Formats: sequence, structure tokens, C-alpha cells
Amino acid sequence: MSAGPYNYSYIFKYIIIGDMGVGKSCLLHQFTEKKFMADCPHTIGVEFGTRIIEVAGQKIKLQIWDTAGQERFRAVTRSYYRGAAGALMVYDITRRSTYNHLSSWLTDTRNLTNPSTVIFLIGNKSDLEGQRDVTYEEAKKFAEENGLMFVEASAKTGDNVEEAFLETAKKIYQSIQDGRLDLNAAESGVQHNPSQPGRTNLQGVLSVQQGGKDSCSC
Amino acid sequence: MDDILDEMTSAQDLKKFEREYNITLLNGNLDPKVQFQYAWCLVRSKYSSDIYKGILLLKNLLDTSSMERRDCMYYLAIGHARIKEYNKALEYINLFSTTEPGNTQIEHLESLIRNKLREKRDRNGSLIAIAGITSLISIFLMKK
Repeated sequence: MSAGPYNYSYIFKYIIIGDMGVGKSCLLHQFTEKKFMADCPHTIGVEFGTRIIEVAGQKIKLQIWDTAGQERFRAVTRSYYRGAAGALMVYDITRRSTYNHLSSWLTDTRNLTNPSTVIFLIGNKSDLEGQRDVTYEEAKKFAEENGLMFVEASAKTGDNVEEAFLETAKKIYQSIQDGRLDLNAAESGVQHNPSQPGRTNLQGVLSVQQGGKDSCSC
Repeated sequence: MDDILDEMTSAQDLKKFEREYNITLLNGNLDPKVQFQYAWCLVRSKYSSDIYKGILLLKNLLDTSSMERRDCMYYLAIGHARIKEYNKALEYINLFSTTEPGNTQIEHLESLIRNKLREKRDRNGSLIAIAGITSLISIFLMKK
């Protein structure tokens, strides 16, 4: 995760949402640390992680907000949806109840983010095939009906974890290129880094501020 | 922003949770959950007076209510760290770790706070050195 202060062209904000115990923090940990957290306690409020990735030759910094799944945090964690460019919505393939609650998570996401927010559905714990409670086909159908991207993944083995985070970023980047994502909108969830040399500002965006504190490297 | 300590509550959220808290307070049926939500927003405010208030509300919950102690300790550590009371923040981290050792979320926060503490010490060290050099120059000039 080492990078110079301005060693990226964009910042994308992500949120990870879903019922408690579906493995949201383990997915984040696998993505940022490339390790599986075997004993993962319930997240308190929100946890935060970053990683710099590359899409189409552009360095992009992902700022990822991992929200607590427990109900008592939900009123406040809703405020983290605002301005998210990507939302990873997670359920556990071995617990049907976590799948059944997806429509409620989706409603929150649609209501609290903007139309260009990319929503990626992740069926986690794909390594536990023997305990499967939700078929791939029905989740795929749910994703298609609701216009979501979808994979089954495993935070334990790392299978498809990288793909979910990267595919979301590619879709967001594509939206910027196509002009579907308005970088001038305050809550687009994307910040362009104007000081990155050799970059032209898409759509004339110069005003997207790189806050002073963003200049630290991590 | 690049870490959890830089993140701030929006004025809109702060108002919303303050209103809810005041309503339950006026009705005389203060709900610990509502108090926690308000305190969670206060410790993430940009104003230190709000952060102090959030700390008081969280301490009150920790001492008197059945709210999850880990939630209160975590946000007490964040609150103290945000007003640069790093040693107090570390006390809550230690308290948390006695009941739940090896929690990665708390370990992450601890390393952030230790970095800030180190930066603060380095800064203070440089200021003392500058002050020392300035005094020496003044003494030298006065003697001349």
C-alpha cells in the first residue's frame, strides 16, 4: 500500500454493507492485507481501509468504509452511504436469512446513494459448498433483475475477492469515461487528483479538491 | 481523509441525532441507544466542544447503562484521540484489550494513535530545540 502523496489519479469511495456475520470485514482484510482473519469479531460502528489499484493504466485509490452489520449501528452507518461511488453488498451463501434481507439493504443503497453508484453483490463463504443455503442461480437472477454485478467469493481462500473490488472500480472508471458519472457532483464518490502529472482533467474538472490530509501516504 | 480519525460527521447528521436525543431527554425516557448514536456523531464533530460532550455522554453510558461496553470504549478512544489526548485514548484501548485481546479493529486504531503521539513528540522536540537555539543566539547578541 505504499505510494507517494499524489501517486494516484482518482479516489473512489466504497462502502461494504450487509447483515452481521456475512464476512464484510474479512473481505476487506483479504483485499487490503491479502490475509484471512480467522477470528473476526463484530465490527464496532465502521472500519476503514485503503488500497491503491490500477485500472486502464490509471492509479486509483480506494477508500473503503466497512460498516457494522449489527442493527443497533444502522441508523448512523446510513450516513456513510452518502457519496459512495461503489457499494459492495454482501450475503452469506450458507445463511438464507442474510440473502432474504438483501432487498432491505438494496433499498437503503438506492435511497441514500446516487444513480451512478455501482452496486456489486457478493455471495461470501463460497468455500463452504457443503453448507450452501442459497443457490448461485437464484442470486444471479436477483442480481440481474436489479441491475447488480455479482460474484460468489471467499474471504477465506481469497477466491474472487480481488475481482469484486476491481470490477467495481472498472465500472466506475467506465462511467467517468462515458460521462455518465458527473465528477462535479458533490456526492459522486469520486475525487480527481488534479496534481497528478500528465493527466488532463476530464470534463474540465479542476475544482475537485484534494484535501490537505489526503496528502499522507498510506 | 486517510484514516478513521480524520473522518467527520456532517452538520446535518449531528442535528438529526441531537434532535432525537433531546426529544427522549425531554420525555424523560432517555434511551441508551439514542444517547450512543448522538455521542458517536459528537466525537466525530469538527468542534472540540462537541467532542468533549460526546466523551461525557459515552462515559456516562459506560458507567451506568447496559450498552455494549466495547462500543463505548472504542468511541471514547476515538474522541480523546481527536482532541489530541492520546494517552487517555490509549487507556481506553488498554481497557478494551483486557476484555478482547487481539481485536484487529482496536489494534488498527492503536497504531494510528501511537503514530500521532510520536508525531506530536517529534514536533514538541523540534520546538524545544528551536527555542533553545533562539535563546542561545539572544544571549550571544546581548553579550555583544
